[in-house]
Amino acid sequence: MSDAREQIPRISILWLLAALLLLILPHATRLPIWVSILLLACMGWRLLIFAGRLGFPQRWLKMLIVIIALPLTVMQYRSLGIGLDTAVCLLILGVVFKLLEMRDRRDIQIVIALSYVLAMLSFIYTQTILATLHAILCFILITATMLSLYRDNARNTIRDNGRLAVTLVLQSIPLTIALFVLVPRISPLWSMPLPVSSSTNMGVSDEMTPGDITNLGRSSALAFRVSFSGDAPAHEDLYWRGLVLDFFDGRTWRRAGSTLQTYQMIQRFPSTFRGVPIGEPVAYDVILEPTQQSWVYALQLAETRSDGIVQDRNYALITEKPITQRYRYQVRSHLQHQSDLDLSAPLRARALQLPEGDLNPRTAALAAQMRSEAASDMDYATAVLRLFREEPFYYTLTPPALGDESIDEFMFTTQEGFCGHYAGSFVYMMREVGIPARVVVGYQGGEYNPYEDYTLVYQYNAHAWAEAWFEGEGWVRFDPTAAVAPERITLGVESIFADQPGFLEDAGFSMMRFRDTQWLNTLRLRLDAMDYAWNRWVVSYDEDMQNQLLGSWFGENARQGLLLTLGSVIVLFFILGGWLLLRKGQYRQHDPASRIYLALLRELAVCGLPRKRGEGPGAYCRRVAALRPEYAEQLQQVTTQFEALAYLQTSAAAAADSSRLGQLRALEEGSWQLRRRLLSPWRRLLVTLGVVR
Amino acid sequence: MTPVAAVNHWFSQRMQRWLAARLPAVTQIRLDRRNIFILPTGPGLLFLAASTLIFITAINYILSMAFGLAFLMISVFLLSILYTFRNLQQLSLRRLPAEPVFAGQEAAFMVLLQREGKRAHEMLELGFPGQRVSLANLLDDVEVRVPLYLPAPQRGLLKAPRLRVQTRFPLGLWRAWSIVDLSMQCIVFPAPVPGPLSGRANATASGQSEASVAGTEDFQGLRSYQPGDSLKQVAWKSFARGQGLQVKQFVDQADDRLMLDWAMLPGLEPEERLSRLCHWVLELERSGVDYGLRLPGVEIDMGRGAEHRLRALTALALWNGHKGVSS
Repeated sequence: MSDAREQIPRISILWLLAALLLLILPHATRLPIWVSILLLACMGWRLLIFAGRLGFPQRWLKMLIVIIALPLTVMQYRSLGIGLDTAVCLLILGVVFKLLEMRDRRDIQIVIALSYVLAMLSFIYTQTILATLHAILCFILITATMLSLYRDNARNTIRDNGRLAVTLVLQSIPLTIALFVLVPRISPLWSMPLPVSSSTNMGVSDEMTPGDITNLGRSSALAFRVSFSGDAPAHEDLYWRGLVLDFFDGRTWRRAGSTLQTYQMIQRFPSTFRGVPIGEPVAYDVILEPTQQSWVYALQLAETRSDGIVQDRNYALITEKPITQRYRYQVRSHLQHQSDLDLSAPLRARALQLPEGDLNPRTAALAAQMRSEAASDMDYATAVLRLFREEPFYYTLTPPALGDESIDEFMFTTQEGFCGHYAGSFVYMMREVGIPARVVVGYQGGEYNPYEDYTLVYQYNAHAWAEAWFEGEGWVRFDPTAAVAPERITLGVESIFADQPGFLEDAGFSMMRFRDTQWLNTLRLRLDAMDYAWNRWVVSYDEDMQNQLLGSWFGENARQGLLLTLGSVIVLFFILGGWLLLRKGQYRQHDPASRIYLALLRELAVCGLPRKRGEGPGAYCRRVAALRPEYAEQLQQVTTQFEALAYLQTSAAAAADSSRLGQLRALEEGSWQLRRRLLSPWRRLLVTLGVVR
Repeated sequence: MTPVAAVNHWFSQRMQRWLAARLPAVTQIRLDRRNIFILPTGPGLLFLAASTLIFITAINYILSMAFGLAFLMISVFLLSILYTFRNLQQLSLRRLPAEPVFAGQEAAFMVLLQREGKRAHEMLELGFPGQRVSLANLLDDVEVRVPLYLPAPQRGLLKAPRLRVQTRFPLGLWRAWSIVDLSMQCIVFPAPVPGPLSGRANATASGQSEASVAGTEDFQGLRSYQPGDSLKQVAWKSFARGQGLQVKQFVDQADDRLMLDWAMLPGLEPEERLSRLCHWVLELERSGVDYGLRLPGVEIDMGRGAEHRLRALTALALWNGHKGVSS
């Protein structure tokens, strides 16, 4: 009984092609265009083979395609490194090529198995609700393909296969959920490089040339989402600290050293926590969108216990590897704090660094003059903020370009800038008079989503501000932008830039554009709330969450409880499934006329007039008429109608369906008239429920 | 016997004994959890391998949804145990009498498949081990007859081996099967082999028939057969002697009867004799001549008709040396 050489039913080819097309669709944007064309061509060819228009390709042609396609793919991806992207592309190509030499069941079995793997591949790039629904739809199509392979009968139709495939998947979902929650999650077996998606937003960068950050103002892409365990702090306190930029070369602010070096240094020589918390911390949970960069955002002064995050000497949170996927971490922040009351010599030196040469003489002179007029360093800083507020400085998304003497030009000529200009100039003026200061980049503010109680931070929330160090105070945050445009901080960037050209310029037809339309805005927030909940509870479900959950169920014996529950779930699945599926099924193939007639017979049986085994409708009618003459006329009428419909239908099949429909309606009407006389509605309900026999 | 073959032999012996105890021979059997076996198929293992690959990828890349996909595959895999099992469950098999065949043909055993429950049964594969598989479906029908083929190389009573009824429905991931012994048997007639009956036929076609022929005086002679002549007037005896088709001109009815006798074919092996006699039974039946059959230990009177033919052929099929007809 070998089945290896059995033919593939034609319908399976259609299912498979549909499944593959749907599977490859989300990869289309990532695949090189020629690959997409080649894939479509191969699938088209297979369709033509199916239609009988073309034969299978010759051996030499297949060889030629493979010989050309493989090296081309490898070359295409070499710039990105031979990684997962290449593997995905090769797997898709392989599956589609196999279509062209798929002749028997064994071949298609292999293609089907690979298709399931393909369905998984898109999760490497995105795990949204939409991607999940897409994968389930693909799963149903592939399952229907499998089904059609073993259904060489009248039921091998698109409708029957589709229905059974959907049923199978729906019935499997409860067990899937149980396994998802209960199967022990383990840490990665070996580390693998993740693909670098080219299209994602890079977020805040690790250097700042005044003018750069404006690009982010054009994007409505999400940066991260935060949910606070208590009340969220006020909008003006939401300074999401990213990196500290303490090196200035005259044009650009940078950070010293690479993040990876810093990470490894701190791993080797763990530093003690040098901040002094005051008051209660706020605890929150962040889901960061992929940034491709190795730092994360938090409110100062942050403490985190999440794995893979360390804090550097500037209190920035550094990760070991770039964030290539949505990343979730937990933080506790002491909004009230003091930090670095003793500033170490190397840190002080870095916070006082100025570019070689006297690039901005006018600013230097202004700084010296203002410091001499001020009573203290702190007064001086306040005076500089006042300068920004009182001079005609203008906060804009589209500042003019600056030359080599960038600070002087900005301070005295253009006086128009975005946050980077103000932060950079402020720090410069501090350093000119010997006050340690540095630029901090990150995000400011966020949008509160009431539906799921969390805060959304977008790329246009990107911000730069300053920190200055004072004897006895430690580092103090200054936001010169707030001096120029206070509503930027209190109300959010969107409130002041909504009308400015450039704001959300790159957002396209994003729903952000319609934030003034109330119902659309509500819809947007609701959709995001759904996505957020999905991420928070489903996509980020990992070892930690599992342990927490199981700990809350089983307390100490979490592992034992887990295995016990898992075992019971599987046993329960078989008991319940066995009971539901294996009990005797119902006939459902009666035609409508028989259904009406049999319903009447059931009620007659309840009234003590059961039909005998083998008794035809006519004979039964005559017997009932003799026993109960009061029903005779109506039963006779119904029986005649039923016989006409049931037994004469082959000869009358040619007759129009409409007349048959009319007859059916007459039969139903007649049957109901009799049934109303037989049983009261109440009794009928009891009979239907099985209370009365 | 090589050690491997010996182990195989020992194993299959044990298997047969175990099966005989667990699934004894019956005429009708209802399939349920006591007699259905189920194991994954090759594609089923491939499916598991794919889900394992997805699972490992999910672990390594920490992809929650890939975990979900792997678990969905596992769930479908487990669920299809129930579906495959259900497809055989509540199915009953009953043996039907098999039409006799001639040796060298394929015997067709008939089995009646009936559903005991109300559910449809799809894609049932029935067959004897190593033989052609018959497909059966019970979609709307309550019962269906399924022919099962087995080569019948030798005359006699062909006993069918255990019947394998299996299904891979719905997904082909599992194979549920049962090996039932419906103690089916089929009569295999000897293969008819044309050839003359011996010249001693007259001499040995003795006894009553010879006596009844003796008084024929009005026999006028033979002429050669012309198309259109009644077959009833063919002189079968001389034809059997190899003298060509001839027609008797004044026919004595008694002469038209022929006793096919074992002794008419001297010098042939018993099986050859049986084949030759089988051929003559068919030939005489076709031409409407009464005939009888005499084998050592068996005697069938003169007669004609389907029943008579069957009796004669069965006697030929089951003749068992000089002991007569085997049971």
